[in-house]
Amino acid sequence: MIELKHLDFAYEKNHPILKDISAKFGETGSNVVGVIGPNGTGKSTLFLNLVGMLKPTGGQILVDDQPINYSKKGLNQLRQKIGIVFQNSDQQIFYSIVKDDVAFALHNLNVPEDEIKRRVNTILRELDISELKDRPIQYLSGGQKKRVAIAGILVLNSEWLLLDEPTAGLDPDGKRRMVELIKHLVSRGQKIILSSHDIDFMYEVCDYFYILRDGQFVKSGKKETVFDDEKMLLETKLDQPWLVKVHQKLHLPLYSNEEELFADKALRAKLAKLE
Amino acid sequence: MLVIDKYAYSNRIVKWSPKLKGLLWLLGIILAFQPIIPIKLVLIVVVVWHTLYVTKMSGRVYLHWFYAILPFLLLSIIGIVFTMAPKANQIYYPIHLFGNYFGISKVMLPKGLRLGVQVSTAVVCTYWFALTTPFQQIILTLKAIHMPSLMIEEVMLMYRFIFIFVEACEQIYRAQKLRLGYRTFRLSMHSVGVLVKMLFEQVMIDYQQMVYALDAKLYDGEFKVGEDD
Ligand SMILES: Nc1ncnc2c1ncn2[C@@H]1O[C@H](COP(=O)(O)OP(=O)(O)OP(=O)(O)O)[C@@H](O)[C@H]1O
Ligand SMILES: [Mg+2]
Repeated sequence: MIELKHLDFAYEKNHPILKDISAKFGETGSNVVGVIGPNGTGKSTLFLNLVGMLKPTGGQILVDDQPINYSKKGLNQLRQKIGIVFQNSDQQIFYSIVKDDVAFALHNLNVPEDEIKRRVNTILRELDISELKDRPIQYLSGGQKKRVAIAGILVLNSEWLLLDEPTAGLDPDGKRRMVELIKHLVSRGQKIILSSHDIDFMYEVCDYFYILRDGQFVKSGKKETVFDDEKMLLETKLDQPWLVKVHQKLHLPLYSNEEELFADKALRAKLAKLE
Repeated sequence: MLVIDKYAYSNRIVKWSPKLKGLLWLLGIILAFQPIIPIKLVLIVVVVWHTLYVTKMSGRVYLHWFYAILPFLLLSIIGIVFTMAPKANQIYYPIHLFGNYFGISKVMLPKGLRLGVQVSTAVVCTYWFALTTPFQQIILTLKAIHMPSLMIEEVMLMYRFIFIFVEACEQIYRAQKLRLGYRTFRLSMHSVGVLVKMLFEQVMIDYQQMVYALDAKLYDGEFKVGEDD
């Protein structure tokens, strides 16, 4: 569990970005935590705090009930427990050939060469990018680069995976594949924290939500409750997920994803009668 | 990810052993610093031609790679050749200033030009190496000759940053030009000032991001490179 206790953070004095944030990620048995907020509210800043790259100016962060130890060794351990994939894949990818880049973290851990090969192959297969193994990064599409960036962190087998804006710049197909990828990772026990302002995407994949506005969590909760106040969401420069709108405005049941809606036989029968 | 690696991976001699390329580069550097000028000039022509041939790069794109270092080169030559002297006959195009003469020193001009040729030769050879050898291979080569890891890291950071610099420079320049920032001389001077300021800011940001990325992958100050298969 990752616990934030009255976390404050400022890049410059008197200009706070995160203000008195408290939360317990993973407490309620939720495995996919979503941090939702508009541009510039501090999502990326929060993530950098969670992995110890930025140090809170107030309050503290506990990982499995231990405060983060900011020594070199402590941070090294923390990053094996919490992996982070940045918003911009180009930033994350360091080497020019896919397999070298994915192996980089394992080299840093001094994992033996044949085990590195094995683990890299496994991850590439899992993310369905085996055919990219020997390709130079610059010939990849945005979605493929995102996967390579994720693979480079997943090889660490960290308990938590932080994905900062994983759908930024992806086309509808890329987005769909990202949803599937996240669902797959969750099914094999990966705990994930996501940040995004793509409400419908977040609604589909996350099971617990925090809404960030001007550096503060203004609301948190599960799918069923966190999006019920449309006015508040609009004020936060966000919107309601369309399934919640359909639920509130047309009084349909609250579906947790699109497939559920389209598979609802009772609803179909009712609609058929209207004709 | 570096643009330069695009050429480094798709050139005609990517299959050559990096050690051979490293040796050729060393030979080029030695020739750049030997005293006979014509050899250097011939070398520049040959190496530039070969670089363009193997990378299939256009001359214009190739010239772009010089924008970043040209100011430094010119400044150092200017610093060497311009002087003050008490007698007008020691100076080309003397300007009378405060009882002395200011202008291009007759003694220093050949020295300055020689330096210019020398540096250009070395840079041309280095670009040949950098544009034909992928980063990964360069590191392997440095390891093979048992360079200390501190040096390797130094080389890698320089390598990476020269090109981040060139790229950032081009991007800002293009953005300014699009909005007519170079229409008149005065505007150009102003724009160049802004460009330099933004360039440094951009490079600082890129550096910070690179540090985060390396940290996330548990980089501990030493590049460990696997065998190539
Ligand atoms: N290195 C920095 N120095 C100073 N201020 C910064 C720095 N990085 C970010 N900020 C500021 O902190 C605020 C939060 O930025 P952050 O990148 O965390 O937002 P975000 O929620 O991730 O936004 P986005 O949706 O655009 O990614 C912004 O106002 C930004 O200008
Ligand atoms: Mg962000």
